[in-house]
Amino acid sequence: MNATHKPGVGYVTIWVYLLILVAAGVAVLGAPVSKTVAVVLIFGVAVVKATLVIRHYMHVRQQPLMIYAMLTIPVLLAIAMTLALLPDIGLRP
Amino acid sequence: MSAMSVTEGVHATSRDFARQPLGKVGVWWFLASEIMVFGGLMGSYILSRIAAGGWAAERAHVNTRLAVINTLVLLTSSLTIVEAHAAVDADQRSRVRTFLLATVLLGCMFLGIKAFEYSHEIENGLTPASGLFWSFYYTMTGLHGLHVLIGIIINFSLFVAAGGRNFSRIQHRVEYAGLYWHFVDVVWIFLFPLLYLA
Repeated sequence: MNATHKPGVGYVTIWVYLLILVAAGVAVLGAPVSKTVAVVLIFGVAVVKATLVIRHYMHVRQQPLMIYAMLTIPVLLAIAMTLALLPDIGLRP
Repeated sequence: MSAMSVTEGVHATSRDFARQPLGKVGVWWFLASEIMVFGGLMGSYILSRIAAGGWAAERAHVNTRLAVINTLVLLTSSLTIVEAHAAVDADQRSRVRTFLLATVLLGCMFLGIKAFEYSHEIENGLTPASGLFWSFYYTMTGLHGLHVLIGIIINFSLFVAAGGRNFSRIQHRVEYAGLYWHFVDVVWIFLFPLLYLA
């Protein structure tokens, strides 16, 4: 048996959480909050959903540290690229 | 238990990078490169959207209801493929085939809904040439849809292979296909709020 995998450990439960989070993300659209708060909530929910899939369905928790590095570095680079260009492109008057 | 066997036991765990199957490392490398592809696109979209003042008028034309349904379809397909992986580990060939087929059908449903959405938008004159928002919309959802299509082909080939004699040969491949499919799901998890909610 594959050591990274424990069959039947709460996959359906994670799926239910994901469905609830989809509903929560959509519900933010009708919530009486400012646009900025709504955007933060919507993307906060998206990050939680992605984390659930990556941790529990992709079994990243059981992977070596090198795999974490392989995945984290491009994410940081993509964020850094966006932030570096923000003053010149996004916030140009 | 001797010290030697304890050491061997520790090295046999999947947290040792040097003992990872090459195919699995290859899939993780591929996914890392894909993060840069989609990360670059999403970063460019966010910058352009901020510069353009939000694209509220354009965003009002996308069909959020269909996107919610598609999100539920793709999340459910992530459940079915991880169940296929669990069935591989349990050596349950018929369950592997059932869950792989379910994943294929859910992937087809996702593409069918997306095609329906595209057809309505194009009928209303909203094409990639209609503005920067629509260029990004079609590029990002189109590239994602292409990844879904490739995933469907991989999963269907594994479904067929799982019915053959060499079931043991495809066991690792189901895990690799699952990693790819979950990645496609994670990309959609971010495309959905970027294009339909925020």
